Amino acid sequence: MSDQQDAGRDQTPDATADEMRDQPTGPDQPARRGLSRRGFFTGAGAGVVAGALAAGGGTAFAMSHGEDDATEGVDFNNSYPFYTGTHQAGIQTEPQRYCVYMTFDLVSATATDLQVLLARWSAAIAQLMQGKPIGAVAPTQPNAVAPDTGEAYNLGPSSLTVTLGLGPGVFDHRFGLADKKPKLLEPLPALPSDQLQKGYTGGDLSLQACADDPQVAYHAIRNLARMGRGTVGTRWTVMGFGRASAGKGQSTPRNLLGFKDGTRNIKEQSDFTDHVWVGDGDVAWMRGGSYQVARKIQMNIEIWDADRVSDQQQVIGRTKNVGAPLSGNAEFDTPNFTAKDAAGDIKIPVTSHIALAAHENNNGVKILRRSYNYTDGISQFGQLDAGLLFIAYMDTPQSFIQLQEKLGSSDLLNEYIGHIGSGIFAIPPAPAQGHYLGEALFG
Amino acid sequence: MSSFPTASGLPRASRVAAVVLSAVALTAGVVGCSTSNSGDSVQGDAKSPSAGVGKVAITLQSGSSGDTCTVDHTSVPAGPITFTITNQSSTAITEVELLSQQKIVGEKENLAPGLKPVSLTLTLGGGEYQIYCPGGSPETQKFTVTGKAAAAPTGTAADLLTQGTKEYGDYVSTEVAGMVTAVEKLQKDVDSGDVDAAKKQYGVARPFYEHIESDVEGFVLPGYKATDNAGNLDYLIDMRASNLDPKVGWHGFHAIERDLWQGGKITSSTKKQAAELTKNVKQLSTLSKSLTYKPEDLANGAASLLEEVQSNKIKGEEEDFSHIDLVDFAANVEGAQQAFANLRPGLQKIDPTLTSQIAARFQSTTTMLDGYRDPQAIGGYKTYTAALRDSDANKLSQNVQALQDSLSQLAQKVATA
Repeated sequence: MSDQQDAGRDQTPDATADEMRDQPTGPDQPARRGLSRRGFFTGAGAGVVAGALAAGGGTAFAMSHGEDDATEGVDFNNSYPFYTGTHQAGIQTEPQRYCVYMTFDLVSATATDLQVLLARWSAAIAQLMQGKPIGAVAPTQPNAVAPDTGEAYNLGPSSLTVTLGLGPGVFDHRFGLADKKPKLLEPLPALPSDQLQKGYTGGDLSLQACADDPQVAYHAIRNLARMGRGTVGTRWTVMGFGRASAGKGQSTPRNLLGFKDGTRNIKEQSDFTDHVWVGDGDVAWMRGGSYQVARKIQMNIEIWDADRVSDQQQVIGRTKNVGAPLSGNAEFDTPNFTAKDAAGDIKIPVTSHIALAAHENNNGVKILRRSYNYTDGISQFGQLDAGLLFIAYMDTPQSFIQLQEKLGSSDLLNEYIGHIGSGIFAIPPAPAQGHYLGEALFG
Repeated sequence: MSSFPTASGLPRASRVAAVVLSAVALTAGVVGCSTSNSGDSVQGDAKSPSAGVGKVAITLQSGSSGDTCTVDHTSVPAGPITFTITNQSSTAITEVELLSQQKIVGEKENLAPGLKPVSLTLTLGGGEYQIYCPGGSPETQKFTVTGKAAAAPTGTAADLLTQGTKEYGDYVSTEVAGMVTAVEKLQKDVDSGDVDAAKKQYGVARPFYEHIESDVEGFVLPGYKATDNAGNLDYLIDMRASNLDPKVGWHGFHAIERDLWQGGKITSSTKKQAAELTKNVKQLSTLSKSLTYKPEDLANGAASLLEEVQSNKIKGEEEDFSHIDLVDFAANVEGAQQAFANLRPGLQKIDPTLTSQIAARFQSTTTMLDGYRDPQAIGGYKTYTAALRDSDANKLSQNVQALQDSLSQLAQKVATA
């Protein structure tokens, strides 16, 4: 279904298993577990299943829900390669079920420390993405400390991807890298309705670890943070517990507002080329990279839940059940932003979320959204503290700025959400074997 | 902001026919009322009460242990009754209301010491009422009307609901008129350069908007797009830091609040903002005359006001500089309560259980809020400091949430086809 995405999708399950047998550090081989997604497709034929899924869009909710589940079993043995030499994984990769996002401050002021960290992280990420520990889980020397913390041992690669970002601070006066700075990498400007909190904002480096097993994702972040101590300190983190965006061929999931999120997300290769991957216009080493904007968006869950469904639909611009634009009947109907109802009112309110965000109304601007639902428990006000970990990729940060200037100033949804966290990062391309992330900075 | 603009940029509240702002029959024991110009607190009612009209004098005074609200007769026979309110010296009390079953059946606002007495004539049927002097002592006192009770409201649930929407329309008109007076006074105080007086008047002026925000927040000025905050009247009057649009900048109440509290002084910019606020509130007053309401508009508006409480007041975002969030909080609750009270006779026929549940939860919320009253504080409620927020926000939020959850059931019960 997504064969034209990251090269890793073309790996056969056997190839993955072979690599795992090579695992050098663990005494036991990680057990294979879980459903194989490919098993479904081998038997039924991907085209047939995809066709059923598309048809499901117009049927009753319960039915389409069941179909969604049937087509999206999880293969915990699936893995993606790290050393592609092209784009980093975790961007075009179809979104996994869980994600841990963390940003870091560089506490060491030498470029060499940064260089060593990026090299070590690269090697570790490559290991982790293959489902391997980053060293012995139980060293034979009894007085040794385990290099790998162990909680992901035997869980399989679980489609883990770890995506590294370089914040504006990497290119400030501290490291002498100013001449390598990506042309468009600047801290985001103040945007309308920003409610940013210092504790969820900024960072010199970012790591996005996504996997189909939450513990695999957490293990990756935990061990990379551990490896970085002394060079980086943790800044802010969000744990995404539910996928809120779809890749090509995936059904559209729902965010915590209960609405489908990402129906019109970027899925086609041409859109990735045109809107996500940096081409020749930036500094040379960014070619094949991207820009990442992360926003922690708190949702006022309780008051949203007390809002009538008709209003919710007007706020979003889509129906809650099917996810159809208010001008249409099926989820993937192209919204008609000028269609009027019998009373002469525009069917999709001009200040609804989808109307403001649509590329038709933004000079063709598109971004790749790769968001996750998060919860932080209960707030000091006794309210459920939850929302959307919004992560987007684009070839220029101006795309996000332009969209958010519009959304922040007049989105009906602003009553129910607040952007409380923010970060912007340049995403270097993936290294080839024998190289590491960001190597070009130190040439 | 659930009451958002439709495609044409006008509020969702239906606007087919203008409300006729005349004397209306009131439910809950009130058979009719006529009032002097409700928004005009400066001039007294010129008319002499006609023969046989009951007369009640209410006097507001400052006292050594708080301001007092004295009523000369707390029991009168049914019929037309004229209340004459004299504010001799109270600065804490700025309004007096007559309540029946949580509903305001008559009120006078913008009461200031030393001004001429104002009067209000209501035709009341027998029954129990309350005279409510927020910030005074006693705050609420029983007022008995003896004799024949007004005929119970008759008609179908739909008729009663429709009647309720008309009365609610009058409430909105009263609030808008009160707001015009209050911001004019605020502008005067700002122009005089008196920071303390302006702060105090800011606390007086805020509740008018907060009572009815959900009804009037959808107006877009002519010539502006719905997506442009420069023409969004709600933005221009009530924007705050958390929805700041840097291209349009600071305007309205909170721009003035910021100068008075954060800056601690009145500048030429403050004066400009105060004048602009008056202009925009007058504009709002004109535009709001076109509003009419369906029963579900009242229900949704009430829910929307409580939404405002939860999303802005409890977090202390609304009044970021003055910290009078509890004043707005109480005003949102009062506005929601008035919308509910006007639906109540009709709702009683449709779902008596829900009616009493919502009434009880309003009672619980207002009782809780009474615990935060402070007549000395600006706006009459305790300052919502970070410490108070840390200790009490959870309790406040959960109480309002319970009310909002039951209130959110209301719209589907009263919705018209």
